[in-house]
Amino acid sequence: MEHLIAGFANVLMPATLIWIVIGVSLGYMLGAMPGLGKATGVAVAIPLTFYLEPVAAIAMLIGIAKGSTAGSAVAAILLNTPGEPSSAPTALDGYPLARQGKAQKALKMGLFASVIGDFLSTLLLIALAAPLARYALLIGPVELCAILFFSLTFIGGLAGGSMIKGLIAGALGVFFATVGLELETFIPRMTFGTLELDDGISLVPMAIGMLAVAEMAVQAGKMRELDSAAATIVDGAHPNDRRVTRAEWLRCLPAIGRGTAIGSAVGILPGLGASVGSFLSYGVTRKLSKTLEAFGTGMIEGVAAAESADNAVVPSSFVPLFALGIPGSVIAAILIAALIMHGLTPGPRMFVEQPQMVANIYAAMLCASVIMLAIGLLGQKLFAQVIRVPLRRVIPVVLFLCCVGAYMDSGSIFSIYVMLFFAVLGYFSRKLGFSFVTFLIGFVIGPNLELTFRQSLQILNHDPMRLMGHPVAVVFLVLTVVVVVAIAFSNSRAAVREELAARAATSNPRKLEEENR
Amino acid sequence: MRQADFVSGVVLCLLGLGMLIFVIPSHIAQAPAGFVSPRLVPNMMMIAVVGLSILLVLKALRGMSYGPHPEKNLFSRSEVRMVLRLAMVFAIAITVFVWLSPLVAGVVLIVGTLLALGERGPVALVVMPATLLLGVWLFFYQLLGTAIL
Repeated sequence: MEHLIAGFANVLMPATLIWIVIGVSLGYMLGAMPGLGKATGVAVAIPLTFYLEPVAAIAMLIGIAKGSTAGSAVAAILLNTPGEPSSAPTALDGYPLARQGKAQKALKMGLFASVIGDFLSTLLLIALAAPLARYALLIGPVELCAILFFSLTFIGGLAGGSMIKGLIAGALGVFFATVGLELETFIPRMTFGTLELDDGISLVPMAIGMLAVAEMAVQAGKMRELDSAAATIVDGAHPNDRRVTRAEWLRCLPAIGRGTAIGSAVGILPGLGASVGSFLSYGVTRKLSKTLEAFGTGMIEGVAAAESADNAVVPSSFVPLFALGIPGSVIAAILIAALIMHGLTPGPRMFVEQPQMVANIYAAMLCASVIMLAIGLLGQKLFAQVIRVPLRRVIPVVLFLCCVGAYMDSGSIFSIYVMLFFAVLGYFSRKLGFSFVTFLIGFVIGPNLELTFRQSLQILNHDPMRLMGHPVAVVFLVLTVVVVVAIAFSNSRAAVREELAARAATSNPRKLEEENR
Repeated sequence: MRQADFVSGVVLCLLGLGMLIFVIPSHIAQAPAGFVSPRLVPNMMMIAVVGLSILLVLKALRGMSYGPHPEKNLFSRSEVRMVLRLAMVFAIAITVFVWLSPLVAGVVLIVGTLLALGERGPVALVVMPATLLLGVWLFFYQLLGTAIL
């Protein structure tokens, strides 16, 4: 507790607060633009924090992550084009509200629900991470290897539409993590004689290429349709169209509570992601409503349910990261790079070795929630204008910043090549449905997975029967098999349904030809 | 998606086999006696990729055997055109970076991307690169007090 109080004292300094404000504002604006999600924002911003104090740097990045999660509701409500997939259920009722002239009302409820979900989920992180980490310290390499393997399989199975593709992406992520000098023998692996690859592939240019540059390439392809949608929204004349009334608050509070609980639970489980949380929360709220047929026509509870869950996922997804060192989401995977760069290695040891730094991060997260409310209320109208900036002017700015960010990682053009290589990979992975989230998480946990695997081989003396002496590892290996079978079964049923739906939807060849053009 | 899955499965399978047969043996040396081979994990991952790719191909083939059905193009012509234009801008900007100067490369990247995406307003074409480059200079060189080049 004393660390947390000291953390607030450290964070509530003008020099740190200003970076949180900048981070949240930047994040809100990035989130408001379709396609520019929190992962993109944080990936591009990491190099900008190289020269900041560690607390200010991490606080700024957390501000970006939180701000962009809340900001993604802006595009969902005003354009019917979610800033991130997790805001898609927000659009289901938010966009009809905007079409009815109640855009301001929907945006305000989205903001309030986001802040409440985010704040409560941060408190849950503070309550859970340290106790869980105490147990994690009792875990040895064999158990950790099994847990990492389980997490990667779980994430691979759930992160995309196809488990096979998810697992391929995860395996490729681990494979790319092996590039560079091998740590026991110092034998170079697949460096092709390039000195720059001796230290391995750097996460920053890789993440920037895979997330930001690839996303911009995809957005450039559908630039016209996104730009034309922005010009159609106008505000209603009645004051109640622009504010959340008392009756609406009373209707929305249970939805926000449910959304926060669902989002927090989903965030703690690695790999499920914010989309699962927001869709689940929206679905439950709809199911429990007495007027479920009205959902999709402009029910404000729908916005509250989706946004509270979406924002609750982010802080709680840090629970496995902080307690076990396992990134449960893409944002957690990217933040690992920033945390390590600023002297904090995520995992159970950090609570013992750097409790003050952890408390600083907690304080920064709570402050970012409050700042998000203030900035959202003050700047909502302004941020709503951001979506009216044509994409042809947004994309060059992002690409330029990507290049600056990637270049700064090593001060060499080689980082730009790495960025472009992974941009191509990211573009195709998006188009062909391979989960780039699993790839990145595989890449991040790859070194640890390999290390613990090698240690396990030595501990077990290459005898699988000795695994029986490690019941925790056995449980996780069995769970891995169960998860693979369960997901494969559920995916094959979903595939049959999709096949039928696709046949029905594409029965009109002329329409298909137009879409392809 | 069936055709795309089939093609990507075949490509990944060939890539995995190529890695297993040629790249890994020739680019990762054997470990001294008593050490775990540095080839172990890369080999395991590529074996996983090959196995899963075969599964992906088989799944796609099974889907195609249900009979032909029209599929939406994953890469529309306008998208491909746009991506090629952006790739060209990057190629020119990198060439300029290597042979001329980073500052000019920055201008080429911003103006080139603007032009590639259809921006024709002279004000935007002048103001955007000037503002961005000035902003980066102010942020790093003045505010943070560090050189990035």
